[in-house]
Amino acid sequence: MATITRRMPLIIGVSQAVRRSSDVARETPFIPLLILTLLAFLAVFAPVIAPHSALDPVKPMREQCLAKYGIAACPYVDNVPPFWAREGTVHTPLGTDFLGRDVLSRLMYGARISLVVALTGTLVAGVIGTLLGVLAGYLGRWWDHIIMRITDAWLTMPSLVFAILLSSVRGPGLWNIVVILALVFWSRYARVARGEVLAIRERDFVKLAEINGVSKLRIVFRHIVPNVINTVMVVFSLQVGVAVIIEASLSFLGVGVPPPEPSWGLMMAQERESLMEGRWWLAVFPGICITMLVLSANMLGDWLRVRLDPQLRNR
Amino acid sequence: MRKYILLRCFYSIITLWLLVTIIFAMVRLTGDPVKMKGDVGADKAYLERIRHDWGLDQPLYRQYTSYIGNLLLGDFGHSFEKSLPVRTIYLERLPNSLKLGLAAFVISMVLGVPLGMLSALRVNTWWDNVGKTIALLGLSMPGFFVGLVLIIVFGVQLGWLPVLGKGTSAFIWSNPSTWVPFWFKDWSHLAMPAFALGWYFSGAMLRITRSGMLDVLGSDYIKLVRLKGVPEQVVIAKHALKNSLIPVLTLAGLNLLVMVNVAVVIEVIFNWPGVGQLLYDGLSNRDFPMVQGVVLMSGLMIVLLNFVIDVLYGFVDPRIRLSR
Amino acid sequence: MRKGILVLVPVLILVSAPAWEKLLAATAKPTPILSGPLAKLDIKDAAIETARGKPKGKLTIAQHFALDPGWLDPLEHSYVLTQQHYDYLVHDAMIKPMPQGEFTYSLAEHAEMTADFTKAAFRLRSGLKFHDGHPLTTQDVKWTYENYKGVNFKLFHDKLQRIEMMDDRTIIFHFKEPFVEFLDLYNGGLSGIGWIVAGHYYKKVGRDGFKANPMGAGPYKFVSQEAGVQMVFEAWEEYWRRSPGVKTIVVKGITDLTTRMAGLQTGELDLAYGMTGKLLPRLMADRNLRWDPNFTGPWWLMFPGYNEAESQFHDKRVRQAVSLAINRQFLVKQETQGIGIPWGNWVNQENRDALRGDGKDLPVPEYNPEKAKQLLAQAGFPNGFDFEWYVPFVPYFDMGERILADLRAVGIRGKLQVLEGPGFRAKMAQGRKGYPGNRTIVQNVGPRPGGAKAEIGVYAVCGGSASFVCEPPIEKLWAKHQASVDLGERDRLIKAIQRILIEEYYFVPIYLNPFVHAVGPRVLPEGKGFHRYWDTLHAPYPWPWEIWEVKD
Repeated sequence: MATITRRMPLIIGVSQAVRRSSDVARETPFIPLLILTLLAFLAVFAPVIAPHSALDPVKPMREQCLAKYGIAACPYVDNVPPFWAREGTVHTPLGTDFLGRDVLSRLMYGARISLVVALTGTLVAGVIGTLLGVLAGYLGRWWDHIIMRITDAWLTMPSLVFAILLSSVRGPGLWNIVVILALVFWSRYARVARGEVLAIRERDFVKLAEINGVSKLRIVFRHIVPNVINTVMVVFSLQVGVAVIIEASLSFLGVGVPPPEPSWGLMMAQERESLMEGRWWLAVFPGICITMLVLSANMLGDWLRVRLDPQLRNR
Repeated sequence: MRKYILLRCFYSIITLWLLVTIIFAMVRLTGDPVKMKGDVGADKAYLERIRHDWGLDQPLYRQYTSYIGNLLLGDFGHSFEKSLPVRTIYLERLPNSLKLGLAAFVISMVLGVPLGMLSALRVNTWWDNVGKTIALLGLSMPGFFVGLVLIIVFGVQLGWLPVLGKGTSAFIWSNPSTWVPFWFKDWSHLAMPAFALGWYFSGAMLRITRSGMLDVLGSDYIKLVRLKGVPEQVVIAKHALKNSLIPVLTLAGLNLLVMVNVAVVIEVIFNWPGVGQLLYDGLSNRDFPMVQGVVLMSGLMIVLLNFVIDVLYGFVDPRIRLSR
Repeated sequence: MRKGILVLVPVLILVSAPAWEKLLAATAKPTPILSGPLAKLDIKDAAIETARGKPKGKLTIAQHFALDPGWLDPLEHSYVLTQQHYDYLVHDAMIKPMPQGEFTYSLAEHAEMTADFTKAAFRLRSGLKFHDGHPLTTQDVKWTYENYKGVNFKLFHDKLQRIEMMDDRTIIFHFKEPFVEFLDLYNGGLSGIGWIVAGHYYKKVGRDGFKANPMGAGPYKFVSQEAGVQMVFEAWEEYWRRSPGVKTIVVKGITDLTTRMAGLQTGELDLAYGMTGKLLPRLMADRNLRWDPNFTGPWWLMFPGYNEAESQFHDKRVRQAVSLAINRQFLVKQETQGIGIPWGNWVNQENRDALRGDGKDLPVPEYNPEKAKQLLAQAGFPNGFDFEWYVPFVPYFDMGERILADLRAVGIRGKLQVLEGPGFRAKMAQGRKGYPGNRTIVQNVGPRPGGAKAEIGVYAVCGGSASFVCEPPIEKLWAKHQASVDLGERDRLIKAIQRILIEEYYFVPIYLNPFVHAVGPRVLPEGKGFHRYWDTLHAPYPWPWEIWEVKD
């Protein structure tokens, strides 16, 4: 008798834990996480696992040169189709582009560009925006007015337009895109952060700290910011997807990452004509990659939003 | 209440003024447009004449004050690249963008609202997951990707839809007989760009509809109606639908404006002569007055809409009406 | 009897004198307007067609830039992109380039210049009028000259002493000093001042109004436009030269290559410009479409800042290596489906004083990557080097990438700088200042009228507006050229300069660029005859427009 009663809490505890973890397991977005991890892995280890270089054409085989140009040696063979087509080879599984470069390798290196640009840009935007929003919310008065009016003005400008404008100022280049993304998106964080701060500012623990004479700076960093982080993180995860699309759009329009870098948007822009000629894979694969990345980031962001907002959790 | 409205008005004006100033400064950082008009080998006197015509030989503060002064009189300056007054060109193109935006708006509503309602009614089931995934897919595919695929499939391969521009219908302000037919002609040209644009926003519509419906379905009012024994169809159709559409419409309005102003990439791919294309051309050619004008107009529209929404909320929400 | 004949002969002569006069007049040259010795001018007569057909059909043209209403105003417009494309539609000039020759009489039927080039006289044809019926007189010629604000306007105004209108059809320009290039510059091919604008109309509608609704004396009347998007023109059957062949011409601004191609294939477009690059195979494979190679000029590479000691391109061997690294045969196959011609000179081959780069005067450049690597090693770059930017002519980015790949294969590594068209032109217009640093390669093509001397004057001498080259041997030859009046010697000096530029690798030529234009099935004549529309020399576009014909 005693053993059963003693074990009951244990059994109940374990079964509860199992149920809770299976709940968590059901809710956790496995697929997006998987995709994101895969992309991150590819991005980091691209130089090791990519079958060819992203910038140099693949050294063609003699038969390919003969088949395409009728000469025994050629610098590259362009527009080789993917391995499942007749002229395709497993050597270049997804084919080659107009300069004879391996598409699969370029896609892998492209993951680098998309992730680095989107993550860094959004991060920098997040830091700047959150700080400004917190300052506006906490310090109030004139700070609030000025910062919020500037934020409003910034927000009325459509992001893509603003990004194109900024790219004319700074010129093309990977780090310039990061700067542009930061400049375009900080205002979204500022808005949200300020809203949160206004709510937190009235809470007891903040009031207590103020009464105790703790310096404003300390209050901001020790009490306000940690409580704002949750919401900010949600915005961050949702913004990453937008940042990827903005970078791709900029590169597509020709004002983003310059050639010969393998940005996915740039690859799509360069192969528009191939799309017309029936070589759909050259433009569609990068498009699928962009979609996968953004989709995963959005799903993750959604899940975060639901988890961190108790009101939404039971939906 | 009156103080609230005045305050909102004041804020809007400040925001607009800031916007104008920021854009004014930024375009001037993009380079010197005069040199782009002159060919390699053009004589200096000619370039100086152009610089003078464009007012760029004046000191910066003078350019700024005269620009603001002209704005207040409704003069947006002369386009550098297109040689005509910015206002004329913008107004000529605005109906095209509105047509595209409205069509995309309709598509996004038609795609998004029913699916969103379905998701809400079958919440947390397989339908809901499908709905949520579709929404996210819409938000994740870049507009140019969708556009390209559409052009190649429907335009070139199948030949069902024309690929060039907007067709022959034009909205001519000075010719009232064109005012009404414009919106109903050339739908074949409109189909693809509107779909590419609306696809993205249908995702947003879906989610908003879904969460709005869920909010309403969980509310006390609906519980009461159900307790009264009203059949489920009527509950949904008559009560839930009506109330859930309010947030949908508010955000929809904002989305429409955004669509009109943001369709740059779509307009460029489809050669649709809207204001987005004006902006893109203007940015490529360092056409200061055009860029300033288009951005200002889009900002104006958004600020105006926000102002109207704020005022309406003020009327509706007593807390705001009575707050500081 | 003899007395009778003696009286009859003078009477006969007197009576037939008027007839003799008429005969003499018919065979004599027209009385010159100016007195004194005249300069020898080579202006061809216009080809007037008395048979007046009815214009038929519609021609839809795809311009590869967004349209600028300013192009419709000859008083002001820039010649950068479209040159006289729109002038040939709506307006007419005193003298302009036509298929007969670079100088062909148009509105003017007779022109003279004094041998010292201080006076120029023109006689207009009789019966000329504008689209609104107003007669075109010397008043309009004078008004156009005085109100011209375009390229070189200051030069024209400064040199002018006064304009003398002898009557409605005869006008004399008096210059303060000898104006040798007057006819060169007044020619409708070079600037807008020769294209006559109706003063009365311009004053009535104003500057903006004229651009929104232009009117002129050309073969086509302006109908309507949507700024930047399209312009519609209609044939003016009372044009003096002939009745135009096509009834309606629509010009659309389509910057996107794929859209132009799609338009051609769906039949929405009849003529499209700039169809080179990846879609050329598709164009060539389509039986419905035809194309004209339309060679504009050779591509060549330049090295801004090469003459600075720290520049990587300072050593001639490095520049030679660049030339050896480029596989022109393969490039031409990839970029232009083999239409392009690897060429050894950078000057447009249509110029009489240009050296031919196909082996006749200058050799076709060699492809030898091994030798390139050796030269690089000799010059101190055994492992190649990294330079900063390769700036291709907009929008030939694919071609730039191919060349970059070739360069990378021998160890010369760099990035492609993608600019917008106006951005690129702005940089070129600033000359050396447009390309800071000395680690850049610029790829350019630059057809311009005026002969090889014009191109050298811009690109290859110390004072040239877009020049990166400043070499004493060239300067000496150039100074001699400017001072000389002997045409034979001038020709020799120009050719010597070209030779130096190529042999010292200051410029690296690539291939003759075909700026392919494509036409659809509606364009007549069917088959190969349509190539005649591209006959005008130095014309990047197929003007004049009144000779075009399409199916109804």
